[in-house]
Amino acid sequence: MPQFFSNKRLILLLVGVIFLVALISFSLRDRQNASLPEQIIKDTVGFGQSLVSKPTHYVTGIFNNVDALLNTYDENKRLKSRLEEFAVLQGEVNDLKIENDKFRDLVDKKEDLKKFNPIQATVIARNPDQWEEKLILDQGTMDGIKVNMAVRTSEGLIGKIVQTTPYTSEVELLTTNNTNYRVSAVVSNKKQVFGLIEGFDEKRNELILKRIDSSLNVKKGDKVMTSGLGGIFPKGILIGEVTKVTTDDFGLTKLAYVKPAANFSMLDHVIIAKRDSINIDGSDGSSTNKDQTNKIKSDTTGDGE
Amino acid sequence: MRFLIPLVAVVLFFLETEFALFSPIEWNGQFAYLVPRFLILYLIFLSIYYNRKRAMLYGLIFGLLYDIFYIDIIGLYSFLYPFICFIAGSTVKYIHQHLFVTTTLSLLLVALLEIVLYQFFLLISFTTIPFSEFLNQRLIPTMIANSIYLIMLGWTFKYLIQTRVLQKANQSIL
Repeated sequence: MPQFFSNKRLILLLVGVIFLVALISFSLRDRQNASLPEQIIKDTVGFGQSLVSKPTHYVTGIFNNVDALLNTYDENKRLKSRLEEFAVLQGEVNDLKIENDKFRDLVDKKEDLKKFNPIQATVIARNPDQWEEKLILDQGTMDGIKVNMAVRTSEGLIGKIVQTTPYTSEVELLTTNNTNYRVSAVVSNKKQVFGLIEGFDEKRNELILKRIDSSLNVKKGDKVMTSGLGGIFPKGILIGEVTKVTTDDFGLTKLAYVKPAANFSMLDHVIIAKRDSINIDGSDGSSTNKDQTNKIKSDTTGDGE
Repeated sequence: MRFLIPLVAVVLFFLETEFALFSPIEWNGQFAYLVPRFLILYLIFLSIYYNRKRAMLYGLIFGLLYDIFYIDIIGLYSFLYPFICFIAGSTVKYIHQHLFVTTTLSLLLVALLEIVLYQFFLLISFTTIPFSEFLNQRLIPTMIANSIYLIMLGWTFKYLIQTRVLQKANQSIL
């Protein structure tokens, strides 16, 4: 048997390993921006991927349609029972809308945090190894997509844009482990209760809503929406429903578990919400990567002592 | 025929992510993550039945694409794919090249790949799940899904590669 590693090979291997470690640490440091060759490769692969994804979406669409058809009877029965309720609600909503517009005119306020410009996008890929919860969309900076925009489905919020190239963009889902990922949220109760969506509980498969004022009341079943106060996301996108309320580790604020409204598997068409009013890099944006965490970290360690 | 082998690799590369869209599957209130490893299984077959060097080259190219397109950490898959191919190719001398043996070996190597990746992501704290959870939620479902895939398609790979080898041999005679 020849020697497994000859001297030349061993040196080559060592140099290779050193080179790789350097490359890994280099690319880990700056993952928000893609360099030009990276962008070109991403766009090329993205183009190929979108060619493959169209027929597969078509096939899965057929399966989904058949599935929907099988449930039609039950669904129809349930929907009919809610139809009367819906008519009453519709009248009420119209009434409120007119009233709201009138008041807006009265105070001469044009901007609205709720308003957004929807951009339709198709999911062309999902990170196959699923260690990071990422999607790749077929719209990029050429279509007006910018980093930190909110991404939603018809059911609710699913994540935000973390990286863009000219023809593709990358979404980090709400279910990520990234500690710098925050969404400013509001619990719509009788009173508005504000908090931050921070982190994901893997055991319960639910989002964690932190920093709720402990004097305010949050109940199981309350709906959680984006507040629009984070600076980037529009207001009023449904995030989920509260399932459990406890106090946090330090007993100072409340913590709620939120079951996400959107279904995170089988995502194909999503809507990117481009907010109409001015964007400020607040807690929804990337400023959380810097100052705020340090501040909070020093705060919490102070509390712990 | 000459371009069929890289073409299959390209198709598998693109198909992996389409199948990833189905995952995670909710089952008994638990989430099961199925990670498609079609490409590396194909490359392992390639390095056993065809040519180790060629398989490592494909591994490097597709690993690099994988790194850039999906995970933005360059050097992770572009090291692991050729490495796995290298191990697979080195075993050729010691094991019998029966389809059953190759299938088992490929699945073992994929399990190795998954564990190494888990350790790496644990190291850079992308994930915090303990090993038992990784085993139940990821490794076991992934291995089941990939073994079904390999049992279905393994013989096709073998057939395809051997046809190519035969063709090459004929050409060299002529």
